[in-house]
Amino acid sequence: MDLRPDFNRFLKAVRGEEADRVPLAEILVEYPIQGKFLGREVTASDLEAQVEFWTRAGYDYVPISVSMMTPGKVTEESKISRVLREMVLRERPEETDPRAWNLEFTSFIHERADFERFPWGPAAEMDFSMLDRVKDLLPPGMKVIAISGKIFTLTWMLMGFQNFSLKLVMEPQLVADVFRKVASIQFEALDRILAKDYVGGIWVVDDIAFGTGPMISPQALREHVFSWYREMARRCHDKDRVFLMHSDGDLTSLMEDLIDMGLDAIQPIDPTCMDIVKVKQEFGQRICLIGNVANELLRSGSTAEVEDYTRHLLRHVAPGGGFCLGSGNSVPAWAKFENYLAMRDTALKNGAYPIKV
Amino acid sequence: MSDLLESLKEAVITRRTAEIEGLVKAALESGIAPGSIVNDGLIPAMDVVGRQFADGQIFVPEMLVSAMTMKTGLEVVKPMLTGEETQSKGTVLMATVKGDLHDIGKNIVSMMLEGAGFRVIDLGVDLSVDKLIDQVESVKPHLLGLSALLTTTMPEMKRVIEELTERGLRDKVRIIVGGAPVNAKFAEQIGADGYGANATEAVDLARRLAVLA
Repeated sequence: MDLRPDFNRFLKAVRGEEADRVPLAEILVEYPIQGKFLGREVTASDLEAQVEFWTRAGYDYVPISVSMMTPGKVTEESKISRVLREMVLRERPEETDPRAWNLEFTSFIHERADFERFPWGPAAEMDFSMLDRVKDLLPPGMKVIAISGKIFTLTWMLMGFQNFSLKLVMEPQLVADVFRKVASIQFEALDRILAKDYVGGIWVVDDIAFGTGPMISPQALREHVFSWYREMARRCHDKDRVFLMHSDGDLTSLMEDLIDMGLDAIQPIDPTCMDIVKVKQEFGQRICLIGNVANELLRSGSTAEVEDYTRHLLRHVAPGGGFCLGSGNSVPAWAKFENYLAMRDTALKNGAYPIKV
Repeated sequence: MSDLLESLKEAVITRRTAEIEGLVKAALESGIAPGSIVNDGLIPAMDVVGRQFADGQIFVPEMLVSAMTMKTGLEVVKPMLTGEETQSKGTVLMATVKGDLHDIGKNIVSMMLEGAGFRVIDLGVDLSVDKLIDQVESVKPHLLGLSALLTTTMPEMKRVIEELTERGLRDKVRIIVGGAPVNAKFAEQIGADGYGANATEAVDLARRLAVLA
């Protein structure tokens, strides 16, 4: 099995074709798992080790996050946290809980006045240093997928989900304005990202559905979210890049919209509420599917169970192409390492086209 | 049902928040009993909203606005309810378990329970076993609702139930669980009294269990 990175392999799958083998794909493999694979510690700043992991493990790209308010990256030291801390302490000098000025824990835009005075400048500052540094570390054949462009989640995080929901119905213009502002920041980053020739595509990680269906009505998603993603897809395709999306939850009722707005691939086809075989049968000719070994299986299952499910995916979803194999969300530190290996190894061992498993 | 009751029910269902106060006042002025406004107007309206949500006709934002409309109407009529009428359907303590900061699902269930006439005390997120037990001891709720979004925090639900049993409090409160990774089998395994897959199921479950409590 050829382990050398080949971004064209990934591209073929994303464009609905069969490559030499089923590509492996993830939006995230947490550092402890990367470390166990390499046999040494991997940290957030150790880009060399990260690139080595993605290369040796058999992937065709390195995912690099470049986004406004990247989860886990809004820290006490972030400029936006400092600005918000000053803002909060002016109003509530007695406040001591750092979560009160952390965008990941507290919402700030409740009314029009909050929108007007929100420090958009610092919030829009993004860190491109990892994306810049990775250029010289990429082995031949490998590209970068930029994890970027989140719009829906950021908007409701800024407003608080309950307040966002109420305003969506009662003051839709305010919601539309927050969406527009967030989108304009993400688009500015997108243009900078797409200017780098070693970036092969954009992967938007934006949960839009619960296990029971869309988080807001399909009509509201079309108006406030998909319109922006349609433009994002257009800009990616104009520059010959692929446009991928991650969303948890049951996307069944949104699949036609996702395809129509120009999405090339959708991940992970949430195994807790969707049947990827049925999705493949219904939509597999029009969109690439990436997934979907359940995280719960990676955490609590046996290696034999993981191997069985991986073979099930290869047997029923891989034929015809348009499929990359990976987890049912991402590979968290709490997954059993042997189960991650079982998924990867089974895919590499049995994933050569034509599939014979 | 009188036209006025029908109108205020419709106002909740169709999210006409600005009109509800006037409609409730008009109903009161026409001589409709405050208890009837609640039990024959506002609560049945939320039942319809719950069914629409469960059927996928409306989504969380629409449901929350209906719940807010219902609450606005309830505030108008509350001071006029007699002692018997002010009794809630039961008290529910709601919390997301230790290690879990997710609260969307819990908040939706809380609002729907309030809409169904329960007194809800929302303890927030990241609640330790000890804090939860202390609250059960002091509040003495009919129901305890536990939420978890993460598979890693689900075991906290089991710990809460074990500790309640250890302290002799298990038979004093009914426990309902919910959240993305939770299912009926897990609820049964850990000894919970029930599982709600969504807010509507949670309300139905709470109604059944509150009768038994």
